[in-house]
Amino acid sequence: MLFRIDFKSGKAVYLQLVDQIRYAAACGALRAGEPLPSIRPLAEQLRLNRNTVAKAYTELESQGVIETIAGKGCFLKDNHSPFTKQARHKLLVEKIDDAWVTAHQLQVDADTFLELARERLAFFEREAAKEQVRSQGGRSS
Amino acid sequence: MNTSPAVIEVNNLTRRFGKLDAVNGLNLNVRPGRCFGFFGRNGAGKTTTIKCLLNLLRPTSGSVSVFGLDPRRDEVAVKSRLAYVPDAVAFYPWMTVRETVHYLASFRRHWNTEVEADLLRRFDLDPAQKTSHLSKGQKTQLALIGAICPEPELLVLDEPTSGLDPIVRREFIETVIGAYQSGDPERRTVFVSTHLIAEFEGLIDEFTIIEQGRELFSMEADSARDRFRKIRARFAGPPPAVNLPGALGVKKSGRELELLGNGNCEQLMEILRAQHPEELHCESLSLEEIFVASKTLAEAAP
Repeated sequence: MLFRIDFKSGKAVYLQLVDQIRYAAACGALRAGEPLPSIRPLAEQLRLNRNTVAKAYTELESQGVIETIAGKGCFLKDNHSPFTKQARHKLLVEKIDDAWVTAHQLQVDADTFLELARERLAFFEREAAKEQVRSQGGRSS
Repeated sequence: MNTSPAVIEVNNLTRRFGKLDAVNGLNLNVRPGRCFGFFGRNGAGKTTTIKCLLNLLRPTSGSVSVFGLDPRRDEVAVKSRLAYVPDAVAFYPWMTVRETVHYLASFRRHWNTEVEADLLRRFDLDPAQKTSHLSKGQKTQLALIGAICPEPELLVLDEPTSGLDPIVRREFIETVIGAYQSGDPERRTVFVSTHLIAEFEGLIDEFTIIEQGRELFSMEADSARDRFRKIRARFAGPPPAVNLPGALGVKKSGRELELLGNGNCEQLMEILRAQHPEELHCESLSLEEIFVASKTLAEAAP
């Protein structure tokens, strides 16, 4: 798992860790039953105060996202609470906002922006359809 | 929130050298388990303060207490519970690395030989090497071994990584986090004075910036980064003249406006957004930037 700590984001460092682990769980980068890195090597690797990493894990445990098994470490829980719909939307809206700011700077108007977004969606749908055909073809042969 | 007694408490400390007030009415309070950054420019009084903590200097006035004890009266009791790594370390040049480690261990009631072997291996130090043949980086590594193996409650670091190469600096910090702090994280306290603030950024819980022997301000690292932000706006024409309440260090150059927000960044962003900038950007100040801007920020800080 790759963590990125940004001291310029203004967000408390332990919360950055909490969000990144929840995000990894939500998008499947971390699956139920998979172990999280131990506190000490993670703290060393990120050169973070050991207590900051421990605080993030405590927070995740109290949110029911991870569980600590004595002597074994921390694991993503089976029924971990993923982000609420609202929180997921908020994450997405941030990305859309970024894209819209860039569009504005590049003098791309709203209609073109939406047009491009639709074009990209169509592209991904086509790719997914091709993938499906390929996997079905593989099974029948 | 944490009511346990302070590991370091400095009250109105003054230390004079002739006519010079090296430290002039300084207060500090470092709680157990914290990593406390002590920042200041050269000559600000950091080393003088640290020497007063270690009874290497006597205060002219004011009081210093470590573990609730007076280092002047209970010097041995205080020193047996802490370790100190200064910026320039010196060992007896005729001793080997192994002899030096044994010599340092002989002063301690407790010594973790497992950590010792682990760190000698990690730093790739040859136990048979004479200390006179060690590089500056290796001498610092040896000093760190001497400081961590007794597993003290307090680790005092005075410019520990200045003049070292980036790999040694990185290993030094990893060792402080891993071998030292992880041993007993609730009770292991770090007090570090440094100019290389960016390297210690992730480690620092709380810091004090001093200037001319006085405290400029003290804050929690997370809340400082939350509070102080740099805002940059670019307009189509010259920046409009708007009232920006509480903004610090407002600078105009060409079509750009740059300022430091002090806790009301959202409000400042709103005001600027209403002026339809071409670009509007906001980011937190890192601890190093906070240090560089500390004089400006101190006018507004608590």
